[in-house]
Amino acid sequence: MTIHRVIRKVQRFEGWFGGGAVLCLVAGLYLGLIGSPPDYYQGEVVRIMYIHVPLAHTSLLGYTVLAVGSLWYLWKRDPIVDNMCQAVAALSAVFTALALGTGMIWGKPTWDTWWTWDARLTSFTVLLLILIGYLMLRTFVDDPEKEARYGAILAIVGFVDLPIIHFSVEWWRTLHQPQSISMRGVSISSGLLVPLLFMSVGMSLLFSYMLMVRTQLLYLDRLLHAKKGRLLSQFHLSKFDS
Amino acid sequence: MTNLYIRWGGVCVVAIVLIVLTYNHYRDNLANLAPRQVKQEAPAGDIRVLGMVQGGTLETHGAGEATFTLLGESASLQVQYEGPPPDNLRELKILILIGRWNAATQVFEARDIGIVPNYGFIAGAYLLGLLPLALLLFAMNRRVNFLYDEIKTSKLYEEE
Amino acid sequence: MTSFNVIRWIVWKDFVTELRSRETISSMVFFALIVILIFSFSFSMDQQAAREVIAGIMWVAFAFTGIIGLGKSFSTELQNDCLEALQMVPEAKGAIYLGKVAANFAFMFLVEILLFPMFVILFNLEVVEEISLLLLVFFLATVGLSAIGTLFSALTVQIRAREVMLPILLLPLVVPVMIAAVEATKGALNGDPLAMYEQWLELLVIYDVVFTVVSFWMFEFVMDS
Repeated sequence: MTIHRVIRKVQRFEGWFGGGAVLCLVAGLYLGLIGSPPDYYQGEVVRIMYIHVPLAHTSLLGYTVLAVGSLWYLWKRDPIVDNMCQAVAALSAVFTALALGTGMIWGKPTWDTWWTWDARLTSFTVLLLILIGYLMLRTFVDDPEKEARYGAILAIVGFVDLPIIHFSVEWWRTLHQPQSISMRGVSISSGLLVPLLFMSVGMSLLFSYMLMVRTQLLYLDRLLHAKKGRLLSQFHLSKFDS
Repeated sequence: MTNLYIRWGGVCVVAIVLIVLTYNHYRDNLANLAPRQVKQEAPAGDIRVLGMVQGGTLETHGAGEATFTLLGESASLQVQYEGPPPDNLRELKILILIGRWNAATQVFEARDIGIVPNYGFIAGAYLLGLLPLALLLFAMNRRVNFLYDEIKTSKLYEEE
Repeated sequence: MTSFNVIRWIVWKDFVTELRSRETISSMVFFALIVILIFSFSFSMDQQAAREVIAGIMWVAFAFTGIIGLGKSFSTELQNDCLEALQMVPEAKGAIYLGKVAANFAFMFLVEILLFPMFVILFNLEVVEEISLLLLVFFLATVGLSAIGTLFSALTVQIRAREVMLPILLLPLVVPVMIAAVEATKGALNGDPLAMYEQWLELLVIYDVVFTVVSFWMFEFVMDS
């Protein structure tokens, strides 16, 4: 069974991802919270960046993986790739929600407001809505093969849409920007860059590890259900035999 | 199953060590006194006082000195700032003064200004970012272990 | 039968069904009227205030009525297993998609043309010289809405809770169309020079092209069984 072998292979390496994630995150947290100086403009609050920016980057990375996986699924119809897509969508949704949450906490002391219709915040909200829509869609389809196919279609259309959404929201923002809030980005000096790098790498590793665990979880779940004589369409069963 | 709990125990230990280290690092910045406490207790040596610069009381005398009133919740302090006043020293601003209390003249002699920390936001952001991820990952790890056990007992497939 | 004939027959079929039942267009128009009524209760507007919000109200009404029309587009095919019959068409599935897009576009555009005079009357607008530009905005935005909407109409028709899922999936994806349409309509209604809202028209054109192509391609996988 080829899929079995893939799972075994993934299992063999997942410990490295998990361990690497813990090491990088611990180093990043130490450097970010203790080792690095406060920012000249923002003071101590700049330390929120070390958790917020990696979460945001990772959720975008996750969406890219989702789009690639969806294309792969439509091409090969491999059920484990679909399990991976479902796993990455849920994890991306969690990471996006946490990025939005930490962004709101960052916004309160720096811009003195929890929420502003800033271009990036708005497009991340739309991204979260698309991901939740994807997860909801999957729960409403009865046939697993159809579920995977429809999800893949939505993911690809959403992936093409994301840059357009971002640009349109950005143009719209430049028209309606309230003057009281300045959207100056943080100028990143080298002192800030090192902990940010560690946290980014750590978050990506953590995301990969979580993805492996969740893919396994969904795959095993599906296997058990199949054993109990439920779900798994004929299409998937034929794949299992080969 | 025991393997899983040992691993997560390690993660918890690392997390606790990090929290303790961070707390120790910021402990000095977290402890500060209110003007009322300063007047009552008259502590000796260097202290940190948190309060707001009262509007209309800030007077600079040349480049090397400034006087103002620091407003606390139920008391205020006369402050004499020695040395060139920094940019942060403005009226109606909440700040932390570092210096010593002169009990004889009832004047606080400040020599430095600390930023008012909003560590609550930072701690909140880190907890919000990392705690849900850890809990989710733990739940998933446990579920995977459970599923493997289930599959082994149900003899779904043989080892190759 | 060539692919072009498939497109023609599907448009013809949808028009004939609509002429006989008069279900889709009448329900869209009446729904839009109710939306207008509720909005005019919610905001008490003079003419100046109306100019600011009218473009937004207009496109909220158009988008919601459009979703009603799109939802009906494929759910009517469920009767008598018409969907299976469509899947058995030997030509490329994209032809079915293009036919459905054309029919949906025609219905939505017709409803918009019918509703626009009511907006003008009910909100005391003065539109004289900008009518051709407004029509261009309506045209471009409606192409975008129907291009992506038809794909999702086909996708949601075979799942549970399809009436709920269509707007949930569609509305986040048409955010660019809504923003661009509202801004361009506002510009045209205020009589601004074209250069001020040209970029929104360009965005609409890009969106239309990209999503007609992507949806055309993805439709193959929706119908694939």
